[in-house]
Amino acid sequence: MKVLVVDDFSTMRRIVKNLLRDLGFTNISEADDGSTALPMLQGGDFDFVVTDWNMPGMQGIDLLKAIRADASLSHIPVLLITAEAKKEQIVMAAQAGVNGYIVKPFTAATLKTKLDKIFERLA
Amino acid sequence: MSIAMTGQISLEQAKSLVVFLESGQQAEADAVIAEIQNPINSELFAEIGKLTRQLHDSLTNFQLDSRLNDLATADIPDAKERLNYVITRTEEAANKTMDAVEAIFPVVETISEQVATVNPSWTKLMNNELDLKEFKSLCLDIDILLKNTGKETKTIHSLMTDVLMAQDFQDLTGQVIRKVIDLVREVEDSLINMLTAFGISAEKVQEQSLPKVGENLVEGPIVNAENRDDVVEDQDDVDDLLSSLGF
Repeated sequence: MKVLVVDDFSTMRRIVKNLLRDLGFTNISEADDGSTALPMLQGGDFDFVVTDWNMPGMQGIDLLKAIRADASLSHIPVLLITAEAKKEQIVMAAQAGVNGYIVKPFTAATLKTKLDKIFERLA
Repeated sequence: MSIAMTGQISLEQAKSLVVFLESGQQAEADAVIAEIQNPINSELFAEIGKLTRQLHDSLTNFQLDSRLNDLATADIPDAKERLNYVITRTEEAANKTMDAVEAIFPVVETISEQVATVNPSWTKLMNNELDLKEFKSLCLDIDILLKNTGKETKTIHSLMTDVLMAQDFQDLTGQVIRKVIDLVREVEDSLINMLTAFGISAEKVQEQSLPKVGENLVEGPIVNAENRDDVVEDQDDVDDLLSSLGF
């Protein structure tokens, strides 16, 4: 399974990559914001996107909307891992078709639970 | 003062002055001079008083202005540098820690694989089910395991020390951030003083201010979630909200 991790902070990408690797995901690519991520997604056969919300350039929520609006990408599950915690924003993400929403700071156990749930639903 | 007088001395005053001087009445002549100078003096004193007050105010304002100037040109750029230092140090610490952790993962993995190799034969041995050939092979496996574990625990120990030492950023960044907080407090005080000087109530301004949000309501980490009802406090809140939306 090919995963794209999108976050503007390299340390957070590294944390998420390590956690994903621990959960058995070994094919992981990185992007530092939505505008870098989108062409990578369009050019590659990614199966899953983990993205931050607040990034310079294209925000995670806009990346999610762009993915859902692109017929060739719309099937890809998207997990938001973000410090954004306004109820209105969570509703916004749900309406945009997010598959999971994790608020930072988060734990390895939370990530595992959310991933299990996402893939259980898709199965 | 007479209507005829447009200058500082009238013709009558000049004439009487000449009369007094010619007749040798020095004291009277001096009195005329004093009378002539008097109105000038009182105006002069008033003017000097006004100038002194203005000078005093200007000096006070100048002190405030020069501090604000220092804040804007020196202290705030310095604070930016300090905060950049915090970003650099915390990033370094995070990377140092992850370097060590990423180096530990495969070591632990190897030990765990070697334990898994030894385990079935060991269980057989404990149950007295192991033949001599298997026993020899088990001894070799255990030999590898012991040597490797002995060596790798030293590696792990040294890497854990690296993790420990990487936490020294907390002390350094804590001190730096505390200084920046002091500066912010000073700027706040200066601005409130200025608002007060212009007759604007600081409280009134405070009431009107709302948290600044960007596009898509982005605000970053919420530091006072317990005082706000528009944000979630933890992952459970998120999950509850999403399930109430049918997720």
